[in-house]
Amino acid sequence: MTNLVKATELFSETTIDQEIVVMSLDSGDFFSLEGTALAAWELIDGSHDLAALVAALAAQFDAPPQAIGADVEAFVLQLRAAGLLRDG
Amino acid sequence: MPALRTPAESIRLMAHETRHHYGAVPRALGSITVEPGFRILAEGQFLLRCASGYGYHYVPGAGITIERPVGGDPDEEFLWLNGSVYAAVACLNGLYPVHASAVAHDGQVHAFTGAPGAGKSTIVTGLGQRGWPMFCDDTLLLDLSDPARVMALPGHKRLKLTDHALALTGTSAQQPVGAETGKSYVEPPAGDVREPLPLARLVFLEEGPQPAWENIGGGERFARLADDHYTQALYSDAQRPDLQGLFALRARIAQQVAMARLVRPRSSAGFAASLDLAEANFAGTNKERRAQ
Repeated sequence: MTNLVKATELFSETTIDQEIVVMSLDSGDFFSLEGTALAAWELIDGSHDLAALVAALAAQFDAPPQAIGADVEAFVLQLRAAGLLRDG
Repeated sequence: MPALRTPAESIRLMAHETRHHYGAVPRALGSITVEPGFRILAEGQFLLRCASGYGYHYVPGAGITIERPVGGDPDEEFLWLNGSVYAAVACLNGLYPVHASAVAHDGQVHAFTGAPGAGKSTIVTGLGQRGWPMFCDDTLLLDLSDPARVMALPGHKRLKLTDHALALTGTSAQQPVGAETGKSYVEPPAGDVREPLPLARLVFLEEGPQPAWENIGGGERFARLADDHYTQALYSDAQRPDLQGLFALRARIAQQVAMARLVRPRSSAGFAASLDLAEANFAGTNKERRAQ
């Protein structure tokens, strides 16, 4: 599995209250991340692949990895589709 | 991006740049012809040609030229000058216009925004009757040259109300606004404010059966700012910010200005209740600020 890496040159982000707003510089579409999505976004730092990301989130939220794996994978696919990730 | 200047300098700049005289306006800017009913921001200038025959041409440093057609309606002339032309001049000088009416209290500005007919001027009049002076009507200019805070510049000195709003607020009309607007000028009940003040809160007005107040937090603040198409289009045409610049601008306003939505019924009792909600929440904002 390859590590997940943000395509930092392709988006802008900012923190508003306890949320992060990310905007694609390609499309202008923006996303507001909070809760587990925010935690996942912060963990995507080039040192985790999908399995490691699921494990880290499972530990952080005290949840079984198999219970959150599908949701985390779907979230990562959304980020990829939005052009916010590149191959590490 | 906005030049570094004090809000007082911005007020002087606007006074200088909005001075006007009468004469012929061009039919094109650069190679682009502007037909009646259209406007353009190009070559660092603004050209508006109204369907009625009125024309407005702004050149930085030279002010505004107004072309008045034969039999032109002075009320219409005034409305264009203080609406689209005023906002365009502001944009070309690095100020950011918001479609909002506002009151001032305790050294801060509380602004109401919403679609035409949402009740911006009505609620400012209602709060004026409770002692809150008017800050501006319809166009709120923001000066973003101080990175630490969003400053608001005071605007027009008269409110414009529909007959329904006159009845709702029990205010006396001074004179009609033009022949066909269905609105009348009203003197702000608590007077107005003439110095720049920090913008504390932007309230989005909605109509509904029950009065309600809800603070807006997080990403929704950013999203709400992206909805103001009228001012966004003018600002984008004037300053040509790239997506990154536009994002930074909205992010900054979303971080520095509190936001809320206020649902206001059209009934008299509901209107009074919505004024109660606004008054209570604005007073709370000021109390929090003093405690900091």
